[in-house]
Amino acid sequence: MAIPGTGIVKGFGTTLRNFFSPKVTRQYPETRPQLSDRWRGRLDLIYDPFGDHKCEVCFQCAMVCPVEAIDMSGFDSQGNHIRYGMPEIYDERKDPNAWRRSGLPALPMRNPARWDEAIDTSFVNGLVDGYAARPEALVAIFNAVQTRYGYLPERALRLISDRMTIHWAQVFGAAGLGGFRLLPSEGHLITVCDCAACHFSGGDSILAALREELGIGPGESTDDGRFTLETSSGVGAGAMAPAMRVDTLVYGPLNVEQARHLIHERRRTTAAEGTPQPAGAH
Amino acid sequence: MDLSLLLGVGRFVLSTTLILLLTVPTAFIIIYLELKVIALMQLRIGPNRVGPAGIFQSAIHGFKVLAKEDFTPDQADRPVFTMAPWMVFMAAAMSMLVIPFAPGLVALDSDISVIYFFAIIGLSVVGLLVAGWASYNKYSLLGGLRSAAQMVSYEIPLTLSIVGVVILTGTLSFTNIIEWQRLHGWGLIWQLVGFPIFFIASTAEINRTPFDMVEADSEIVAGFATEYSGMRFGFFFFAEYVSLFVMSTILVTLFFGGWLAPWPFPAQLAGFGGTIYGLFWFILKTYFFVFVSIWARATLPRVRVDQLMGMAWKVLLPLALVNLFVTAIAVVVFNL
Repeated sequence: MAIPGTGIVKGFGTTLRNFFSPKVTRQYPETRPQLSDRWRGRLDLIYDPFGDHKCEVCFQCAMVCPVEAIDMSGFDSQGNHIRYGMPEIYDERKDPNAWRRSGLPALPMRNPARWDEAIDTSFVNGLVDGYAARPEALVAIFNAVQTRYGYLPERALRLISDRMTIHWAQVFGAAGLGGFRLLPSEGHLITVCDCAACHFSGGDSILAALREELGIGPGESTDDGRFTLETSSGVGAGAMAPAMRVDTLVYGPLNVEQARHLIHERRRTTAAEGTPQPAGAH
Repeated sequence: MDLSLLLGVGRFVLSTTLILLLTVPTAFIIIYLELKVIALMQLRIGPNRVGPAGIFQSAIHGFKVLAKEDFTPDQADRPVFTMAPWMVFMAAAMSMLVIPFAPGLVALDSDISVIYFFAIIGLSVVGLLVAGWASYNKYSLLGGLRSAAQMVSYEIPLTLSIVGVVILTGTLSFTNIIEWQRLHGWGLIWQLVGFPIFFIASTAEINRTPFDMVEADSEIVAGFATEYSGMRFGFFFFAEYVSLFVMSTILVTLFFGGWLAPWPFPAQLAGFGGTIYGLFWFILKTYFFVFVSIWARATLPRVRVDQLMGMAWKVLLPLALVNLFVTAIAVVVFNL
């Protein structure tokens, strides 16, 4: 038989326990919630600086949506009218070519971006035509453009997208996957090879030494703009592992002291010249 | 005029003034405690903006009430409507006159202070009833009638539960009751049944959760206070917390040794030092029971009207009578 009043005692116990527990109130303006780096905020259709919808109806969001809850219609950056009907055609939607088949004829690019970047249009067009605009050649084209400019200028990417009739979102996504620079590098570009051979023969200690020497991590530039540090598996010097590339010159095999010496050497010359040497000026 | 009469009048004026002044910080502190403790028990932070840890929150509430419109319904019985709040408030405040806060710190050390106390605290039901009547509002009237029914019902077990203490101690003076407890131990161990009856009945008497039928918002809006606004409402609000304080002090006085410390009172602390020492223990114990009352409010839901009345007449009253009977027999048999 239940003793009368046990429920009341339990209730008092619960409230007393809560009295001493941590509180759930968040003092909003003073303390902000910890958001994941990948948090993109509320889903919203935003506008670019030119007043157009930034949504280009690329369907990347619809493709990755695990419950296939996203559907849309609109105009992409090339003026194609993209329209999807019933959700029964999910398979078709997942086909990257499906929305292109449903589109209208392509129009010239409406949003010219970063016109301050002077690029050699005929070089890029020739490059694309040289690969016969085949989509699988995208990485080879990026490589050629990066070799020429030191990074991938946005206008060149736009041009490639236009010329190859690949969506801008996909071109940009491929360029951002890794291995390519999307912004011009500052000063000397120090590339530490992180291929397997270099990594296991001491490349990681070289990277650690350079981190300490320059005070920056991979993908960052020093405050004075003299050095940019990055890692890449594309130095292509497996025979002389561990290898390191400074601008265009590849050095190896190196130990930590030699790597430091290379930095000190560059530091002295740039100090003597007075102005940092811009990357990609070769 | 006779000098002793003059002294008596002066003492009365001084003590009533001090008691009235004491009600203000008391109510502010208890209102703040209620806001903060309930918040903490609900896993919230509670007031923390006005002053350090929000300690001025209740003072700000007081000023807000002062700044509000003082509204009187058209058909209200104006003099009674105006008088009701201060009847309730004065009943709570004036009952503090006989409370022994510390050795030597009691405004009116009367031989019949127990009777005085329960007579005065019972007056507040008149205030609530006329407030409900004078408002010319059905909800107010219902609230007033409910309060009358509830408080009259609970006054019986409340009073009977302390008769046990009175029989044991053989005195109606709070000071002597405390003196008896100093010699024989706290009243709680002599009145194990009397204490819970008193605690429950006093909670109902001052309309605290879970017995706050008088202002059951979901049933009768705000009960007797529906038509009250501004400082008149503020007086009701004040009175509620002052009577909570007063009931806690009486609970401490009757069952927990008043200003006695849990261990023997140090003999070297005579005079002023003893007063401070006693006041410390008295306030500490009182605010512990204030905390328990707030704790109960954070825990328990409101009971139904029929449960409320049934509890008073079917449970508490028989228990109180049995307690009184057993105590009386014990006093005779063991010659206490």
